[in-house]
Amino acid sequence: MSELVISSLSISRSELPVVTEINARVESGSISVVLGANGAGKTTLLEGLSGIIPVSGGTIAIDGSEIQKARPGQRSREGLAHVEQGRTIFSQLTTEENMKVALRDGSDLSEAYGLFPELMQRRTIRAGLLSGGEQQMLVIARALLTRPKVLMIDEMSAGLAPVIVSRLMAAVRKLADAGLAVLLVEQFAALALGIGNRAYVLRRGRVVYDGDCKTLLRSPDELHRLYLGG
Amino acid sequence: MNSFLTPAIAGLTAGGTYALLGVCAVFTYRLVAVVNFTGAAIGSAGTFALIALTESGYPTFPSVIAGILVGAAVGVLIGFIMTRWFAEANPSTKAAVTAALLVGLIAIGLRLTGGQHPRVMPDLFPGSAFRMAGVEVTIASVLTIGLAVLFTVLSDLFLNRTRIGLHLRALSDRPLAAELIGVKVRLLSLLVWGATGAFTTFALMIIAPQRSPNFMTLSLLVVPALAAALVGLFRSFWLTLAGGILLGVVEGLASSVDSISQYRSAIPFLVILAVLLWSQREARWDDAR
Amino acid sequence: MTRASIRASLTIIIAAVVLGSVIAGLLPSYWVFLATSVLITGVALQSLGLVAGRTGMIALCQMSFAGVGAWTVGYLNIAEAPGGLATWILLGGLAAVPLGVAIGLPALRLRGINLAIITLSFAAAFDVILATMTFPGQTAFIQVPRPTLFDSDEGYFVFALIFYVAIAVALEFLARSRLGASWLAVRHSERAAAAHGVSVAKAKLSAFAISAFIAGISGGLLAGYLGTLVAENFSMMQSLSLYAVAVMTGAHFAEGAIIGGILVVMFPEILRRFDLPQDIGNVLFALGATQALSTGETMSETYRRLLRKLAPQRKAAGSTLFEGDLPAPVEHAKGAALTVEKLTVRYGAVLALDGVDLTIPAGSVAGLIGPNGAGKSTFIDAVSGFLARYEGSIKLGKTPLEGQAAHVRARAGVRRTWQTNRIAPELTVGGYLRLAAGNLSEAEVRAMLDWLDCPDPETPVVAVDAGTRRLLDVAGVVAARPTVILLDEPAAGQSHEETLRLGRRIAEIPTRFGSSVLLVEHDMDLVRAACSQVTVLDFGRVIASGPPAVVLDQGPVKRAYLGIEESVAA
Repeated sequence: MSELVISSLSISRSELPVVTEINARVESGSISVVLGANGAGKTTLLEGLSGIIPVSGGTIAIDGSEIQKARPGQRSREGLAHVEQGRTIFSQLTTEENMKVALRDGSDLSEAYGLFPELMQRRTIRAGLLSGGEQQMLVIARALLTRPKVLMIDEMSAGLAPVIVSRLMAAVRKLADAGLAVLLVEQFAALALGIGNRAYVLRRGRVVYDGDCKTLLRSPDELHRLYLGG
Repeated sequence: MNSFLTPAIAGLTAGGTYALLGVCAVFTYRLVAVVNFTGAAIGSAGTFALIALTESGYPTFPSVIAGILVGAAVGVLIGFIMTRWFAEANPSTKAAVTAALLVGLIAIGLRLTGGQHPRVMPDLFPGSAFRMAGVEVTIASVLTIGLAVLFTVLSDLFLNRTRIGLHLRALSDRPLAAELIGVKVRLLSLLVWGATGAFTTFALMIIAPQRSPNFMTLSLLVVPALAAALVGLFRSFWLTLAGGILLGVVEGLASSVDSISQYRSAIPFLVILAVLLWSQREARWDDAR
Repeated sequence: MTRASIRASLTIIIAAVVLGSVIAGLLPSYWVFLATSVLITGVALQSLGLVAGRTGMIALCQMSFAGVGAWTVGYLNIAEAPGGLATWILLGGLAAVPLGVAIGLPALRLRGINLAIITLSFAAAFDVILATMTFPGQTAFIQVPRPTLFDSDEGYFVFALIFYVAIAVALEFLARSRLGASWLAVRHSERAAAAHGVSVAKAKLSAFAISAFIAGISGGLLAGYLGTLVAENFSMMQSLSLYAVAVMTGAHFAEGAIIGGILVVMFPEILRRFDLPQDIGNVLFALGATQALSTGETMSETYRRLLRKLAPQRKAAGSTLFEGDLPAPVEHAKGAALTVEKLTVRYGAVLALDGVDLTIPAGSVAGLIGPNGAGKSTFIDAVSGFLARYEGSIKLGKTPLEGQAAHVRARAGVRRTWQTNRIAPELTVGGYLRLAAGNLSEAEVRAMLDWLDCPDPETPVVAVDAGTRRLLDVAGVVAARPTVILLDEPAAGQSHEETLRLGRRIAEIPTRFGSSVLLVEHDMDLVRAACSQVTVLDFGRVIASGPPAVVLDQGPVKRAYLGIEESVAA
């Protein structure tokens, strides 16, 4: 069962086409990884999916219902969660307040603390004072509390130490194993390919590779070519 | 001694009103990122609803409530325009919009209230509260200052203790991130506009009897209100509160000195000039342009 | 000072002569009287158009400046100063200038909102002062006399028309000068303006000064028109409503100011004839301004856009590139064009750049690459002077740049482009090139635009697509031929073929124009095509540098870009 289905999606930024005719899908219980060099259109794709910027063509469906016309808040209530890049915590709020903002009927802070016990000790601290890794955990936890069907994470590993990235990757894999559909956008390919199921590589806003993560991981030269050209 | 104290205390009512209007301006700016030039005009609308009702013979208390509701409704209307069409506009454009809307609001207000002829405004809280160093302190001044303090304290409690307050703080911190986790951004913004509309209305009802209550003079009280807000750098409620009261007191003092009393309305300009030159001494680039 | 200015000025003058003689010759006196009022309001709107429309500042005290002009005229009349009304009006305009500068002075470092607050509070203060002082001659009923030649209503109409046309023509020339272009640039982006070597302070102050001068003139004209004045004529409400009208019609266009004047004068007149309350006008102005602000397009701009659609598209006359017409190369010193040593930048606790060394040899194209957040844009900001503080040293040739503001560095020879589009859409393509590069001949402008596949010089920027605007941005800095050009991702939004073409052009820059280039880019094909050297940044540090073919194959570079560990790759 495909939770998120993207069909011939195109997105422009100030009239420039950034994402062109993309087809992709994310199944429940699996991780789809979107790779690509900087400027390939990965972030624009996610922003179009969550409604931050309008799409210029194509459809986005969650669980069979189309959402490409809905406002971001509406898409969130339909079950689409978007963790933006840059760790967009509410810096003036405490850790726990950050999570409470996202609470819905039927969600519970204990789920979040279960996944990231580190946050428990930091719950009364202002989120702006957390470390980068803790902030990343916090925004993922916050997204989970909206009870999503699809979780999209943008550049989770940017600027974090490898040991923390491994910790986060393991947590994301656990979420997928528990049935969530995950769309992971990464510039750093190896770790994401290691936990992912399906991979898409973008170049100049188009999908230039669509296939199995394992295959891509075994041929770094192919990946190098897809990324850097030449 | 009394020659100074009397005019200073006489300025307290105005000061309290400036403070409350200023605090509302800061509230609006912090939560929905709009410098609102229509603030006092919104309050004037509610105040004149009260005048119209009492003139038609309705009892005072229900008229006050109705007036406050009108003020809240006009606030929501302005808020609707801002959130519907200008949610993503830059702060300068938003300020330009409220400046333009102020022109329209004053025109409508003057039309509906019979132009610049002062109307009879019921003195809601006549008399003096107590004597201080031999000078009468009016109920009105105690009330406006009290209300300003109350608003500051209440908004603090509301923002920190309630779920809606939590959502509002998230909204002001990062509107987009808040919207992405399903916070009802537009609804909350309208709530802010309605609440500030109600409070400014009540503040203007108290001060109206002391000014010639025509729609335009009341609407233009936005100038000292913004001066007070600038003292608080559009961030601090308590500094804004102090700035507003101080402004009123200085005006009161100026009115007691014959040679400058006629120019006392220029005081907010001087305060704004001083605050801006001081607070902007390091800023070089217009943000994000 | 192009032919375009002369053409536009002639259009204005001819239109004025034709319409003026029709109005003065055929219409009844009452309508001529009203038309004079339209002109005077038009002059006030032109002054507002300059500061609000062109420079993008919220000015809510324009009628106060007019009041100063009027008061001066009244005073000179009472004092029986020599020269007559025309001279007094000009003096009145001059009297408003110091006030305009004084109000503009805090605006130099102020954000738009604060300027709105200070101008509104000034208008409020001025209201009180004017009401207290009263106009000279107001109490004694001394009229300001009109010049004998222009004494009748028709005559004074012509008098006002002469002023209106003179100001419109002067503004037309100013608008197309570099100063005029710098106003638009400041309105659109202060940083981009400074990057062209424009002093933001000078641009803003000159706009305020000239605007106050014109507003003062409108006040003087009003004094002669009405004879006696009251403070009401210049109240804060008048300033506010004039601002709304200016925003609605686009008062920085000659037709916008006249349309605005007609609305302000005729609306109450029409309403009066239909027995409707006259203040409905202000409500409509408020709605019109709100509408213009929400669409980002004034009435004049809508009208011009529709006209452009109707007019047949003028095709550029064949794309024949006269390479000989390109601006001649500028000789720069040999050796290192730019030397950066131990550059360190901190944002709070984050180390954005950490001891970066980088040299651009004269006559070369160097590349700067690295993953997102590596510090590339921070590097450009630091070199071009847009960071408040950094550690380390940056030398242009042998001159240290520390302590120099962005516009000073730009003039010294460090020029940059931007990732986001910061070109003022109101300019023409040719006007932008002149703003960026100073005085170029018509042929040089054409050749320069052709060289980078940019459209015809007369094309308005608003009609140019975003990808081409980036090329225009590049064309501007290249045409300026500075010592060093910093290009920030010029290829974003270009197709693959266009990118390769751009790469060849960039590679040609040193020999053709004499400038050295630092290219920040993500597109590796472009980097390979253009650069002789690349430096790779990761987490704010240099992790590799050398010829592109070598560097892009190094292990640490692959790791920085792909996150591939050696063990995984093996």
